Amino acid sequence: MSGRASVFSVKAQTGFGTISIACFFALYLPIVILVFFAFNGAGSQGTWGGFSLRWFQVAWQNQQIQDASWRSLQLAAIAATLATLMATPAALATTRTWAYRGLTFKFALLNLPLIVPEIVTAVALLAVFARIKVWTGYTGIGYLIVAHTAFCIPFAYLPLRARLDGMDLSLETAATDLYANPWNTFRYVTLPLLWPGIFAGFTLAFVISLDDVVITEFVKSGGQETLPTYMLGQLRRFVTPEINAAATGFLALSVLAVTASYFISRKRK
Amino acid sequence: MNRLKGLLAGLALCASAATASADGDLAIYNWGNYTSPELVKKFEDTYKVKVTVTDYDSNDTALAKVRAGGHGFDIVVPSANFVPIWIKEGLLLEARPDQMENFKNVDPRWIDVPWDPGRHYTVPWQWFLTGVVVDTAVYKGDINTTAIWLDPPPELVGKVDVTPEMNEVMYAAIRYMGGKWCTDDKALLKKVRDKLREAKPKWLAMDYEIVEKFAKKDYAGALYWNGAAFRAREQNPNVRFGYPKEGFPYGMDSVAILKDAKNVENAKLFMNFIMAPENAALISNFATYANGIMGSEKFMKPELKDAPELSVPAEFQKAGEWITTCPPEVNEVYSKIWKDLLK
Repeated sequence: MSGRASVFSVKAQTGFGTISIACFFALYLPIVILVFFAFNGAGSQGTWGGFSLRWFQVAWQNQQIQDASWRSLQLAAIAATLATLMATPAALATTRTWAYRGLTFKFALLNLPLIVPEIVTAVALLAVFARIKVWTGYTGIGYLIVAHTAFCIPFAYLPLRARLDGMDLSLETAATDLYANPWNTFRYVTLPLLWPGIFAGFTLAFVISLDDVVITEFVKSGGQETLPTYMLGQLRRFVTPEINAAATGFLALSVLAVTASYFISRKRK
Repeated sequence: MNRLKGLLAGLALCASAATASADGDLAIYNWGNYTSPELVKKFEDTYKVKVTVTDYDSNDTALAKVRAGGHGFDIVVPSANFVPIWIKEGLLLEARPDQMENFKNVDPRWIDVPWDPGRHYTVPWQWFLTGVVVDTAVYKGDINTTAIWLDPPPELVGKVDVTPEMNEVMYAAIRYMGGKWCTDDKALLKKVRDKLREAKPKWLAMDYEIVEKFAKKDYAGALYWNGAAFRAREQNPNVRFGYPKEGFPYGMDSVAILKDAKNVENAKLFMNFIMAPENAALISNFATYANGIMGSEKFMKPELKDAPELSVPAEFQKAGEWITTCPPEVNEVYSKIWKDLLK
């Protein structure tokens, strides 16, 4: 029986190992090289000049990198919070219900930002926000918050929905049977169980907002550089390991956030 | 009622605060890593103006954002071949820098440029050119020729890098074969194509970033920009920059004021400010290209002041030309030759 299963397993197909190793290489080798050269003592991305933390120090003291990083973090925190606040009711509404006509459509609508190419969203937002900027004269950070919240919603929504799908409905039914009103059911039964999903959704949204380049580049107004758009701007001229160092710091932050989210969502299963 | 009054007073206060701060603002929209922080600081201190610098990564991004409106920027720094588009679309203010006090410092070579004759809209920021870079320890012959990469001498075969920029490569190749930029002469273009095809096997790479490769002696010849040649020489003292006598293209980024700028007066102050030699020198010190303001050399870093890469010798000045935008049908032929070369 088990022998048979392994024959039909994907892993048993010839070339599976080679292909997967090639994929891992393509995915991770560039990142490994990027991190490696962040510790380069020389001022280049190609020649190794000994181990040094010099570029981390340079990046840390660069006022522009500081400002951009701080803005990125604030923006990601606000956008991820707003997106999670909106995605939670949306996830409840699309799972705690009987299937009806139009439910799939709503689901698709919620996840549209995943399918629409980013550049299309960016150009569309540029055109719309430009109008609003002309009408109101307001050019603050609000546009970036709105834009980031919008594309973060599906990323916050999907873990929440997965969590809700996996939760035993009978607990909520039991609460209702025991005369808990809908709010108390939500407050004392659904929410505590849903918490890991909310946290996972939030961190995912946070990381997605932190990484965004295309939409930010098109939406940002004067003095609203985020770290990714700042790094993009460096490319026309010579790039030093300072950028590697900044990128490595960012990578560490993203990995940390995702790892935390993974452990928290596992813990309460 | 009182509450309403309070609210109105509050709003009025906000409005006045907004205009008050607007008087002291300047929003610069420039290429990334291109604006000297020292220059910005000096301008802020001199005129008590708060400056914000925002980056873009390409002419197209900048154009798209400004075209859409509501951008809130005052100053933009487009490349020479893009300036006519900005002017034609009515995006730039005719600021008449040619009537400003410091205009007398602008090198006459950069005043009657075809893309802004007489400088009614723009002020030079930095200029550069594409020429040849040679490690003179490897090749000792004449370096002021495009032959370095199109007919490489035996010493350089297999050690040449050519920048992967279509316009720069096509320009140099067409001039080398005796043609004019934007020519549609089929016979000549055929010769250009064959020459490029014949030369390519003698190259090592078509890549950006030459400084490290010249330092490690991987490259001994290149078609590249003068500012990078300067940095390459700092790493490898045998590196020299050659001005191809057959013809080479200039490039320049220029400062312009946007038509819908909110801080026009401050923007004009900035234009005048960067035409002062001591301030223009700060631009060059930061980005290592020449600026087009006479007398600024005196204030440059010593290694930059005497850099042969940044001043074209008189005998080669005639060989330099601006790359203009060719008609679409010509451009299509050039693209075909280029794609054929990249294959």
